[in-house]
Amino acid sequence: MVDHYNKLVKLMARAFYDDLTSKGDNQPKTGRTDNRGIAVVVLDALTRRQWVREEDLAKDLKLHTKQLRRILRFFEEEKIITRDHRRETAKGAKMYSAAVAATADGHPTAREGEEKVKLHTHSYCCLDYAQIYDVVRYRLHRMKHKLKDELEDKNTVQEYVCPTCGKRYNALDALRLISFEDEDFHCESCNGRLEVESDKIASQEAGDGDDNVRRRRREKLKDMLQKMEVQLKPLMDQLSRVKDLPVPEFGSLQAWEARASAAGRAANGDINAADSKMSQMGYNGASIPYSGDTKVVVDFNGTEGKGEGIKSETESTSLKVLPPWMIRSGMVLTKEQRGEVKQETKMDGTSTSITAQHTDDKKSTTEQDDNKSLQDEYIKAYYAALLQQQQELQKKQELLNTTELVDPSSSASGRQVGVKSKRDDAEDDGTEWEETPIGGNGNGGFKVADLNLNVQAEEEPPADEEDEDDIDWEEG
Amino acid sequence: MFFHIVLERNMQLHPRYFGRNLRDNLVSKLMKDVEGTCSGRHGFVVAVTGIENIGKGLIRDGTGFVTFPVKYQCVVFRPFKGEILEAVVTMVNKMGFFAEAGPVQIFVSNHLIPDDMEFQSGDMPNYTTSDGSVKIQKDSEVRLKIMGTRVDATEIFCIGTIKDDFLGVINDPATA
Ligand SMILES: [Zn+2]
Repeated sequence: MVDHYNKLVKLMARAFYDDLTSKGDNQPKTGRTDNRGIAVVVLDALTRRQWVREEDLAKDLKLHTKQLRRILRFFEEEKIITRDHRRETAKGAKMYSAAVAATADGHPTAREGEEKVKLHTHSYCCLDYAQIYDVVRYRLHRMKHKLKDELEDKNTVQEYVCPTCGKRYNALDALRLISFEDEDFHCESCNGRLEVESDKIASQEAGDGDDNVRRRRREKLKDMLQKMEVQLKPLMDQLSRVKDLPVPEFGSLQAWEARASAAGRAANGDINAADSKMSQMGYNGASIPYSGDTKVVVDFNGTEGKGEGIKSETESTSLKVLPPWMIRSGMVLTKEQRGEVKQETKMDGTSTSITAQHTDDKKSTTEQDDNKSLQDEYIKAYYAALLQQQQELQKKQELLNTTELVDPSSSASGRQVGVKSKRDDAEDDGTEWEETPIGGNGNGGFKVADLNLNVQAEEEPPADEEDEDDIDWEEG
Repeated sequence: MFFHIVLERNMQLHPRYFGRNLRDNLVSKLMKDVEGTCSGRHGFVVAVTGIENIGKGLIRDGTGFVTFPVKYQCVVFRPFKGEILEAVVTMVNKMGFFAEAGPVQIFVSNHLIPDDMEFQSGDMPNYTTSDGSVKIQKDSEVRLKIMGTRVDATEIFCIGTIKDDFLGVINDPATA
């Protein structure tokens, strides 16, 4: 799936960024400084990497760091890469190296033992595939739209631009732009006089109104549109091929590092090495506690499921765990879907090397999770039962309800409203009365506030039978 | 386009209106409140035509106001792209002209005015053909086509064109 996206990136690079120069346009191009096509090279290189330190990339491409930076900054603005900058010691850099070593294309530059106290700002970059997909589609859409609009001479929304501050408006803003001093449109921010924007592609030949010119222009536009369809066909095909594929997601730099180094550890099963790397995890010397770090790894593989982790590919295809509120009685569910074997899936997901301490840590955390979710389910079931009980009471009450305070219409039948308007004197303790519309109806010592604290069987209200029913399916 | 639809609104009524005429009070307040308003979703409410249902009131804490959920039928006007409207010109400038069709304001920019009409500034700015036979100025009636709408939560603004067959001035106040 990464391959398809990479092909998309390559096609895009050649279609849109081929003639991009990293120098400003005003500088004269001599043969030597003409560096067109460099953007394509950079993008291609990025398709073979995940997160990469920009210095390393520059070295690999034999480019000057500054030159590369300029290109990358441009791509960042174009929203096709994400960048991350951080100040780090040699330690942090090493952590990145460890992560790189775990990925296929990495260069294992292990500089163990080399300790520097100085902080350096390092920049990293990575392709943002999800965004690239959208950017390309948007770009194509805008191109087509512009050509078509002009072709049909219905670039209807006249645009206006402020010559002083460059702010743009269109005819739909007209109402806000008129001033009462003169007949012109004025800029909202600087009150400059707006000018009609005419950035038509084919408006080079002036002399509007001449039929001949107009016809020629139409032909030119039609030609352009056709050429575009033909020349960009591969790109559009690739877009549709990629449409339903999951997007390769590397996450943020830190997440990626954690995952990649975990995967690397799992791959060589080298416990000691893993431990030593672990101890380097902290940035700027502040070390993250051992168990905390493992938990991060667990979470990523457990929740994302489609991470770059080595074995997690198979995970993503397995059934999703349904949240408890989606489970109804009578549904045919596997145990996984009920979230009962969460523990196992999570373990698989990490597939880290296993020391005794390791597993214990994880088990305890997942067990806690399970306990918590079980409690949540009880609470939910309890609420459901409570709601039912309340509704029944309401019905009962409505029968008794003879004195409506205000009843402007005869046809009304809003049960809720009716009950609410009959606000009883038994309301004492400031609980929200929507929640407890029953006052003095023999409901004894029951209070809403109790719910949040403890859900025990003895506290449950009389409508126990339904309650039990509701809970049964949660457990079975 | 006009629509006859049912809308719902929670009306707050002061206790002083309670009594025999409660319903009447409620309805007249409703008309006062909603007629002439505009919602981006439904358009301009032109007139309330009937009451479907008034729900049971709910007394508000502290104030004594009562909230009634009221379902009412009404005529709404919602302009759409491509729709043809007749409108009255309200203002002419060199950027184009503004017109009103009932509650809706429409702007026609000068590039959507036929090419043979030229802007004439002066006391009564206008767009006139070279032979002077057709003139668009304030209070002219024009037929135009909606080219785009800008719909906000409480406002609808349109842009239109008269650069098409059968569009343009339909009644010139100068000759009438
Ligand atoms: Zn301005």
